[in-house]
Amino acid sequence: MNIFKISLHITLLYCFYLIGVWIQTTFNLFIPGSIIGMLLFFLLLATNVLKDSWIETGTKTLLNHMPLLFVPVTVGIINYLGFFSGKGLLLVFIVILSTAIVMISAGWLALLLLKGKVDTHD
Amino acid sequence: MINIVIGVVSLSGTIGLFFCAKLLYKKYRSPFTLPILTTTIIIVSVLLIASVPYSVYMIGGKWLDHLLGPVVVALGYPLYKQWTILKKYIGPLLIGVSGGAIFGVASGVLLAKVFQFDELIYYSIASKSVTTPVSMDIAKTMGGAPSLAAAFVMMAGIGGAVLGPTFLKLAKVKHPVARGIGMGTASHAIGTSRAMENSELEGAVSTVAMTVSAIIVAVITPLMIRLLL
Repeated sequence: MNIFKISLHITLLYCFYLIGVWIQTTFNLFIPGSIIGMLLFFLLLATNVLKDSWIETGTKTLLNHMPLLFVPVTVGIINYLGFFSGKGLLLVFIVILSTAIVMISAGWLALLLLKGKVDTHD
Repeated sequence: MINIVIGVVSLSGTIGLFFCAKLLYKKYRSPFTLPILTTTIIIVSVLLIASVPYSVYMIGGKWLDHLLGPVVVALGYPLYKQWTILKKYIGPLLIGVSGGAIFGVASGVLLAKVFQFDELIYYSIASKSVTTPVSMDIAKTMGGAPSLAAAFVMMAGIGGAVLGPTFLKLAKVKHPVARGIGMGTASHAIGTSRAMENSELEGAVSTVAMTVSAIIVAVITPLMIRLLL
């Protein structure tokens, strides 16, 4: 029963993905079809057209095991190992530095807008 | 026939290893024992030692790829579940995440350019702050390498989870909402699970921030790359 439910829910998610890809290719958009599908999915949930119970079990299962789905792609790094030797180690430094820039700029901008707002902390 | 056998072996091996890695992570929780990291390192080592080409491993591996599209769609669900947080902090979220996203794409691409890396690197590093399936999709659309993109995403996630609290402390960002926005925007799901350890509010805000960031980065990356290169 549960396996059936999970498969059904994932099939529904897959339909959103296909619709997203269709919209992307039809209108020649540069936004990935998966993101368009996600926005549609979110909108239909937020407007209550799509009920929680129709998708909940499968969605949660998929999200819980999400990192497993990336393993084949991350293993693909095997074809790019050369990029990370010698000068390539600088890339690690670049990513960390850029991550610090993102975190601090996002945090500061958020603080700017949060100021004056009373923190109800609920 | 032989392909099916290879596929079943590589796929079941991957899944089995991943669940063992999950058990290890439960016992020794740290950003360096994340199942995705340990599983990848073990499989890469095995393939290198046994000199199995990646294309052979992928006979089974690519079966999992079919779920990457649906999992991005699924990310809309936690966003919907955190509707109250999204509504309450819509201003700080939109401004904080947009600013962080712009600085993130720009600094990644420009630093790679300054140090004269390959063009393939620009397209793969641009979206490093957002969750793996989205980042891979962006890289693919731009002409980058999804595997490289995934590696950069992992570095941004682990780097942010380990050093993020220090960055935020140095920058004097103490408000849990601002901290959550910083963690989610810079370090996606890995940063979010670190934020959850601090407080429920910080974790919830980080969840929303990482999803909003995925959407914004998907939209701005192609435009910014055209502008910067």
